[in-house]
This record gives sequence, C-alpha cells and structure tokens, in this order.
Amino acid sequence: MSRPGPPHALSQPLDGFSDRVLRPHGRAEWIDLCFRFQSIFGLLVVMVAAVATSPTRRGEIIFLTTENLTNVVRSVSEIGIISVGMTFVILIAGIDLSVGAVVGLSATGIAVLLTESGWGLLPAVGLMLAIGLTFGALQGLISTRLAIQSFIVTLAGLQVARGLARIWSDGQGVPIAYGGGPGTAPDAFSVLNDRVLGLPVPALIFVAVGAVAIFILHKTTFARHIYAIGGNEKAARLSGVPVTRVKVVVFAIAGLLAALAGIIHAGQLNQGSPNDGLGYELDAIAAVVIGGTSLMGGRGTVVGTLAGALLLGILNNILALNNVDPNVQLLIKGLVIIAAAALLSLRRQEV
Amino acid sequence: MTEIPPLLEMRDIAKRFGGVRALRGVHFELGHGEVHALVGENGAGKSTLINILSGVFSDYEGEIAIEGAEISFRSPADAKGAGVATIHQELDLVPEMTVAENLFLGRELRTRLGFADRRRMRVESGALLERAGISIDPSRKLRSLRVGEQQLVEIAKALALDARILVMDEPTSALAEAEVEQLFTVVRELRAQGVGVVYVSHRLDELPEVADRATVVRDGEVVGTVTVSDASQGDLIAMMVGQPLGDLFPKGEIELGEEVLRVDRLTVVPRRPKPGRAEPRDVSFGVRAGEIVGLAGLMGAGRTELLETLFGDASSGERSGSVMLGGEPLEPRSPRAAIDAGVGFVPEDRKALGLVLSQSVTSNVTIAALEQFARAGLMSSGRERSAVRRLIRELGIKTSTGAAAVRTLSGGNQQKVVFAKQLLVKPRLLLLDEPTRGVDVGAKAEIYRLLSRLAGEGMAIMLASSELPELLGVCDRILVLRGGAITTGLSAATATQEDILTAATATRKEAT
Repeated sequence: MSRPGPPHALSQPLDGFSDRVLRPHGRAEWIDLCFRFQSIFGLLVVMVAAVATSPTRRGEIIFLTTENLTNVVRSVSEIGIISVGMTFVILIAGIDLSVGAVVGLSATGIAVLLTESGWGLLPAVGLMLAIGLTFGALQGLISTRLAIQSFIVTLAGLQVARGLARIWSDGQGVPIAYGGGPGTAPDAFSVLNDRVLGLPVPALIFVAVGAVAIFILHKTTFARHIYAIGGNEKAARLSGVPVTRVKVVVFAIAGLLAALAGIIHAGQLNQGSPNDGLGYELDAIAAVVIGGTSLMGGRGTVVGTLAGALLLGILNNILALNNVDPNVQLLIKGLVIIAAAALLSLRRQEV
Repeated sequence: MTEIPPLLEMRDIAKRFGGVRALRGVHFELGHGEVHALVGENGAGKSTLINILSGVFSDYEGEIAIEGAEISFRSPADAKGAGVATIHQELDLVPEMTVAENLFLGRELRTRLGFADRRRMRVESGALLERAGISIDPSRKLRSLRVGEQQLVEIAKALALDARILVMDEPTSALAEAEVEQLFTVVRELRAQGVGVVYVSHRLDELPEVADRATVVRDGEVVGTVTVSDASQGDLIAMMVGQPLGDLFPKGEIELGEEVLRVDRLTVVPRRPKPGRAEPRDVSFGVRAGEIVGLAGLMGAGRTELLETLFGDASSGERSGSVMLGGEPLEPRSPRAAIDAGVGFVPEDRKALGLVLSQSVTSNVTIAALEQFARAGLMSSGRERSAVRRLIRELGIKTSTGAAAVRTLSGGNQQKVVFAKQLLVKPRLLLLDEPTRGVDVGAKAEIYRLLSRLAGEGMAIMLASSELPELLGVCDRILVLRGGAITTGLSAATATQEDILTAATATRKEAT
C-alpha cells in the first residue's frame, strides 16, 4: 500500500485549475475512499463482523451458508423495496411517512381480493399497485398544490391508509389459503414463497427493483430533475424543471413500491392484516440514511440505499443467530444509525 | 497633553477572498458624535469593511482601535460587547416575538425566582423605544410593524446594548418618505448623545441631511474622505466612478435587427402585494435583435420584478398591457413556458437561484436543455459530456472536469456556468439580472465580451445592473426605473453616470 505523501505532494501547481479543490493535506487516499463509499464500506465492516461472530455448525460458518445468505436478502426485500421509493422521495428533500401504512393497505387488499372476493391474480395485483400509485400521487399533488410539507401530508396519509385497510377487512387479519375451491387464492400467488434459481422470489423482485431504480437514477432526464429539485428547488424551477410534475411522480413511485412490498408481505406470510408494515417507514428511512442520502435532498444514491438495507438485514441476522436479546438488538441498531449519520456529517464537514 | 483618540480608527485594513482582493490599505475614522457616510459602487468594498467592523469577518489584516485601545473581534458577539452595533439590511429580529421580547432577546430580565420579568422588560422597552423615537406598544408582535418601525426597534435594541458605534447598512433602501424623515431625526438625536454612526448608503442625495463626513471607496481602496457640506453630489459621484474602465467594454458596432421584444403598457397588480417589491407599472419599450438594453434604478426600483414578469416567474396577480416576442404574444405562466418561447434568464443571485451548487458543472449546464441530449427520456451522456466540454473551453470555465461540483468553482466561473446554460438553450431574448455581481474584473471582462458576441449573433439582451459603468459600457440604451415605472430612456452613447443617478435618485417627492 502506498504511504500518504507529504502534505504538499498533491498541491503541485495546476495552471488554469486554481479553482480545483484539493484533497485536504495529508489525508490518506483510502480514508477518502471509505468516506466516498461509506455505505459499501459499512456493509463490508458489518459482514466481516458477522463472519467473525457467527456461530458454527460442524465447522461451517452458519452466516456464510447459502441458505442463510439468501434468507438475509429475502428478509430485507420488503424494507429494501420501500427504501428504494423512499430514496427518490428523500432526494427531492421530501419524506414519506405513509409507506408502512400503504404496505398494510396493500397486504390486506390483496388478501381480501384473492380470497373473499375471488379475483384473479393479475387483476388483484394490478389493482393494488394502482391504488398504491394513486395514493402516492395524491399525496404528492396535495403537498405541491397546497404547499404543505410532505412530512405532514404523509403523516395524514398514514392514518388514511391504515383506516382504509381496517375498513376493508373489518379490522381483521385475512388468511390466504390455497388448494382450490371457493375462498382460496390462486396457486400462482404462492410463488412468493418459492425459490427461482436458488434465490427466494421476493429477493429477486427486490434485486430487480433496485436495478431498475439504479438505471433510472443514472440514465434519465427524470433523475436530473430529481437531483436538481433536491439541490435547489428555486434554481430548478428557473431552469425550466417541471417541479410539480416531478414531485408527484416521485411520490407515486414511493406509493407504488410500498404497495408492491405489501403484496410480497401478504404472499410470504400467507395472510394480510391492516396492521402489517407497522413502522416500516422508519426502517426505510434508516436504510436510506445509512446509505448516505442526505435528508436535505439532492445527494444520495440507490446503491447506497441497497447497501444500507442489506447492512441492517445482516445486522438483524447475526444478532438473531447469536441469540441476542431482541431489546438489545434494538439498541445496537440505534447505535449503528448514529454511527452512519456521524460518518456522513464528518464527510460533509470535510468538503 | 495627549490628543484625545477618535471613537473608532481602522488602520491599513486589507482583506482577501481567495485570490480576490476585496480591501487594501483602508483607513477609516469616526469621531464621537459623528455621522460618517461610507459610499461607493456595489462591490467597492463597503460591505466587506462593515463586516470586519461588526465582527463577521475575523481574518483581515490591519488594526482597529476604539478610543485608542486596539481591539480585534472574533465574532459579531465580540463586536457587540465592545459597543459596536450593526443594523443590517435584513433585520436581526424575530417576527413572531413581541417588540419587548426582541429588545431583550438573549439577555432577558429575570425576577428573583429566575422567571422572565415581563413587566420590567415592558417598562424598560418603553424607555428604549422613546429614545429611538417611536411610540409603539412594546407588547405588539414585531410582525405587525411596518419596515420603518422595525428598523427603529433594531436601533432601540442597539441602544439597549449601550452601543457607542452604530453601523447602518443602507437603512433607507426599504423605507417610505415619512419613515426616512423619522429615521434621520433619530440619527441626529443619537449624534447629539455622542454616538458615532457609520452610515452606508447609495443615496447621495440624502447625505447632506444626515452625514458630517463621507468616505468614498472604490475597488477596495479609499479614494478620499470629504466633509459633506463642502462636497457636491457630483464630486462624490466623480470619486465613486474614478477613471473610465476603457476597453473593459469591447462592444463593437452591431447592426441592429428587427424588434424582438415589444412591451406595451405592461402593468402588474399583485394579488398579495409584498413589501419591497415594485411590480411593473405602465411599462413600454422595445428591444431589437443585437441590441443590449440596460435597466437602471435603485434597489427596489422594480428591475428584477420586470425581468421576472417577462420570464413567467412574477407574483400572481392581474396583468394588463401586452408583451410580444417576435410577433407572438408572450404570457408565460412558468419559467418552462418562457424558456420554450425563447426567453433566457440569468437571475440575480446565482447561488440561491441560478445554480444547484451540490451538482456537477455538467448537470448545471444542461439542466435547462436536457431534451437535446435525450431520447425518450434516456440521457446520452457521451453527447452531453462533449457538449459541456466544448462550452467549458469556449467560455474558459476554470474547472478540473465537468464532473466537479459547481460549489468548488470561484464566483466568476460559477457565473460562466450560468451563462453556459443559456448558450445551450440559445434564447432569442436573454434577460440578465446583475450578471457580474461578486465577479472579479477579469471574469467581468469575459462576460462583457460574451454579451457582445451574443448580441452580434442577433440575440436581444436586457441587462439590469447597479453598476453604472457597466450599463454605460455594455448597453445601447438604458431605461431608468423607479417604483416599477420607466422614468427615462437614455442613449448609452451620450448619457453620463450623473444622468442615470439623477434620474434614479431624484428626490423622492418628485417621483411620486
């Protein structure tokens, strides 16, 4: 490894480039890299810690077994999918507190539609996704048109979505049974409990959602609009960015992905309940923050969020493997969030 | 016997911002019971000097002495502690609190039990307000006061701190005539009590009414100090302007083309009038292709509001009169619509309105013209990068790469990024609001050359500026605004700075 150079090694004259910001004197390059890819770095640290502390079975590290690793991905798939939507929202300096409730609404709805209402799989899934999309778009519209902060609009949306879910199922959890006959769900829905190519289906959906989101945020004009709005909304508007439209679409995406997570939730648990997804919005926000996205908007990546979600999942997994008291688990998760935020804040001061 | 030292002496003050020298070898002296005006064009260094005096900038060269004792301020609180109170243009008051609460903010009087002693604060507030020359109920919310009254509250707050030196930054820019008179009465009263006042103003016509001496700064240096009663307004202007900037303004002969913009009796009546905004009032003018038309006027004269109206970013309200762009009516409801109609806008405050500082040079340059580099919403980053690389070279933007965050560039280079954005869009009509503010002379010259080139290519340009040499050097014609209305149109070839200032500052009585 190369040693850090003398303080002035990096500040050789750069004719014509005097405005370039040079790296702070004497800081080793690898520290810079850790800062830049903070979430990936954090993920690596947690993985190493997981391997080191994992219990073993017949000489095999349980954490590293294929089964365990794929389970980790499956277990984070719901929060992960929601976090992707949350990333979009936070990038425009908004917040969506309703996503957990939309998970509950969508899980309840899909369970009722597939069993009691006897709908086919595609119409039921389509309707629930449409409801999530519309719900999000409405929140975005209200927030922009009435100039109410998204925090408040989605806090209200949270109540509305939970209320709708309870009304829909009379406040009851709705079990999803298979096997044909009246009141049972189409067998195809149970695919959510299957594996394809050795990977749990929810994990595959999560990976696909993440890939599409990464593509969108790297390649589209829409992404440019998002980053511009989050960085400086006034400047974005004066540059001709259709601010209202972009914001509405972003909230619609968050709603759509929350509904998708709700469907997966119902499929995995074989039931849908109005109380599903309780507090998911906070886990999603935590994943986004650990992933290095700024709550002030304009800075952040989906890659970071995916790493953040996985980091939390691995943490949960290793704590569970070691039979750590669930209450202590909460404590440790809290400390990890603080550590991530502190790193982020340090990085900002450096720049 | 030793000489009594002056109340305030600033010796050999120098200050740099990065590579830009903002102040050099400045001497400034203030006597007991003196009102000393500080005048100069925008960017001359007035604000830097008062920011040093009020403790905002603590890294400067030179010495400050109060009553002979050398002092260095590390923070605004330090300065206040030493008896230097500053009244900024944006007042440091909390709108949702009462007048009394504001006066005692941070040093609330307490009862013996440690609770806030509201009664005593109210009584003492009354006395302070009286000294500041206003009679208002101290239990009123600050929000409910007019701007002039709020300013007097700020003065009362300074008195509460036993300020010996009061720095006032453009105190009359937002005031109505009657409020100005009241303010002057208070300032004279303070002078009689031995308080020294540093009075920063653009309005030369009001100096004889309040000031004893005036110090003129230009390009970061003191040009001279005069006794106000001995100097005419013309003398002061001559000192402020100094030598003509010569070939800073390269505009060659440009054949003017057809009329691109025609504004006829444009008036905007806002639904909710905002204080300090002067909406366009019965404005008529035209701009031809290749022509650069200047907008002059004091702060609050309505230059920005006129440009914003043309760009579809005005206050909502009733609009009458007509605006035609290339023969088509121009009534944009949003900046997007204005851009699509062929209007470009470089806003006044590039950091707050012109740029997304956290984003890269590339993202900033292309944000208004993404469709040029995209098919079906998908960006072609290769084409984008090469277009930006070309613009970086063309405009001489000093940046390591297009991927560098705009935040890391100097002011002049940031402004070039804003211009690069306009070059991509290629508007027929380009609106510029103070495009060279906070930009060093070299970058200024480059921006002027660019404007001249764009005009040569047939663009119609409107340039709002507070810098008179700039208006005279760059423009073909200059429209002088006051209260949202055009008072005079001047030909830049024959007009002088005095003409513009006279039209813009003529006593307010005349204006109404």
